[in-house]
Amino acid sequence: MTATTTTHGPADSVVIRTRRSLMRGLVHYRETIAVLVALVLTLVFAVTTNGVFLNHANMVSVTHVTAVLAIIAIGQSLVICAGEIDISVGSIFAMGAMTFLALAPEFGVFAAVGTALLVGFMIGAFNGYLVAYLGIPSLIITLSSLFIFRGIAYMLVQDGALRIPLAERLAMDGYLAFGSGTFFGFNNSVLWMLAFMVVLHLVMFTMPFGNRLLAVGGDAKSATSRGVRVRRVKLTAFIVVGLCAAFAGILEANKVGYADGTTGRLMELEAIAACVVGGCALAGGRMSIIGTIAGAFILASIQSYLVITGTTPQLYLVVMATFVICAALLDARVRQWALRLR
Amino acid sequence: MDNNKTPLIEVRNLNLSFGSFHALKNIDLKLYGGELIGLVGDNGAGKTTLINVMSGVYAPTSGEVCFAGRKVEKFHPKQAIEFGIETIQQSVGLCDNLSIARNFFLGREPVKRILGIPFLDFKAMRKASNDVVHTFGLRDNVSVDDEVATLSGGERQSVKIGRAVAFKNRVIIMDEPTNHLSVREREHVNELAQQLKEQGLLVIYITHDVYQVHRLADRVVIMENGAKVADVRKDEMSADDLEQIIRDGGRNCTDAA
Repeated sequence: MTATTTTHGPADSVVIRTRRSLMRGLVHYRETIAVLVALVLTLVFAVTTNGVFLNHANMVSVTHVTAVLAIIAIGQSLVICAGEIDISVGSIFAMGAMTFLALAPEFGVFAAVGTALLVGFMIGAFNGYLVAYLGIPSLIITLSSLFIFRGIAYMLVQDGALRIPLAERLAMDGYLAFGSGTFFGFNNSVLWMLAFMVVLHLVMFTMPFGNRLLAVGGDAKSATSRGVRVRRVKLTAFIVVGLCAAFAGILEANKVGYADGTTGRLMELEAIAACVVGGCALAGGRMSIIGTIAGAFILASIQSYLVITGTTPQLYLVVMATFVICAALLDARVRQWALRLR
Repeated sequence: MDNNKTPLIEVRNLNLSFGSFHALKNIDLKLYGGELIGLVGDNGAGKTTLINVMSGVYAPTSGEVCFAGRKVEKFHPKQAIEFGIETIQQSVGLCDNLSIARNFFLGREPVKRILGIPFLDFKAMRKASNDVVHTFGLRDNVSVDDEVATLSGGERQSVKIGRAVAFKNRVIIMDEPTNHLSVREREHVNELAQQLKEQGLLVIYITHDVYQVHRLADRVVIMENGAKVADVRKDEMSADDLEQIIRDGGRNCTDAA
């Protein structure tokens, strides 16, 4: 059958080879951009704040905010990769934080962490079941979950808040392990983020489950025809994001020892923004864990920068939106350009 | 055909409805290993729907399907694949966003266990898909790490057929396998279909083209409006007769089956 290739002369094959390596590069291209942007921003922010941005206290805060946001966003990136979306993660985050704070004083830290994770698992399974098995669009289901669990969060604390005083926290066994302990001066939430990054990166890109999840997001029909259990894969993705969001809630509650009805509000949108900035395609089938973490870092840095420079912090939302739009535009443009080279 | 053997696929009294639409009507069919079956009919005759039932995509409304004499209880592509039914379809089968190697093994990825954790065996995936894909006519400058999005229609078909051959299958269903292919590629695909049959596989070849199928197949099954209207051995009927049946919509051939 080699004769069928005669239509391509040597000149054509050079073009084709260039195009192919471009497409191959494109897979990693977006995450590279996200990491580069993160580095450049760090540099610019450091210079324009006379180094304040990079000082230890600020970096501790930025990396903690990054870690908490990144853990949610990594989970979100799996759901987005499956071609779905979970906008209830902010509420799951709140439920995780509250469950932890409510149970830790009485039942101990580990039981509280376990129960909070179970709550995240249940909410994720609830979302995933309705989306995957009953075929209801994920936007509608998770919008409902967002309201349901936000409502429950408000009801749990009425107008007050859940809190554990610092002295009491420090006296608990194992308390320091979940975010408030330090590691080389940084919160160990960063270590947890790295653990999530390594595990989920390996799962996504070097294990059968990841191959199937990418396939489901890329072309669900073809995945089905190869025997991939699409619904089960989607359900799993929703459970993972539920666990991630609840765990992020634990880390945050552990550090500040406080949660009220507004805990984690807008976090769902930040998580989606981090994914988009990090190179996940909202249509599914294309994602990057490393890029998503870079995206979370970019958002956390901007937030911190606005605080340091005394700019209206509300501007953060506008800047975040601008980044999302730029990322989406860039993605569309570059893909079109690469495909035109065919 | 030795009709004392157990059919590889047997369909009995099969009906399938989508709401009020009766897509398959009382289909009875026995298909044996070593046969090349031509499944023909007009657009909307129900050919693809029928093979979708065989490959587990749709569950029938009533009637039964048996694989090698065993009744199929649960319809899922996974069951069909495990039995050894490989379906090559026009528009599905390859995910554009994955590399050739990843597509090749999608759903049955080879793994290497490290501490009991299953990691993809990339080396095996690359080697097996590379060997197969290049014997099935991909250009040399195509790497199995390339995304399927960069392949042409013919190249995609080659990957699908190569994959179907590489896994030890018992049944190969080809749904319009030569659409969008050049003349030479088409001949190659048809030769492959013959070879697979000679190896003892059941090959179901779906097409519009009665003349092509008459040359190729041992037996021709004609469908019309969701019903089987003819099931004849090639030597019982000429291609022109077959075409006449299709043109008549199966009205004059109730005895042909």
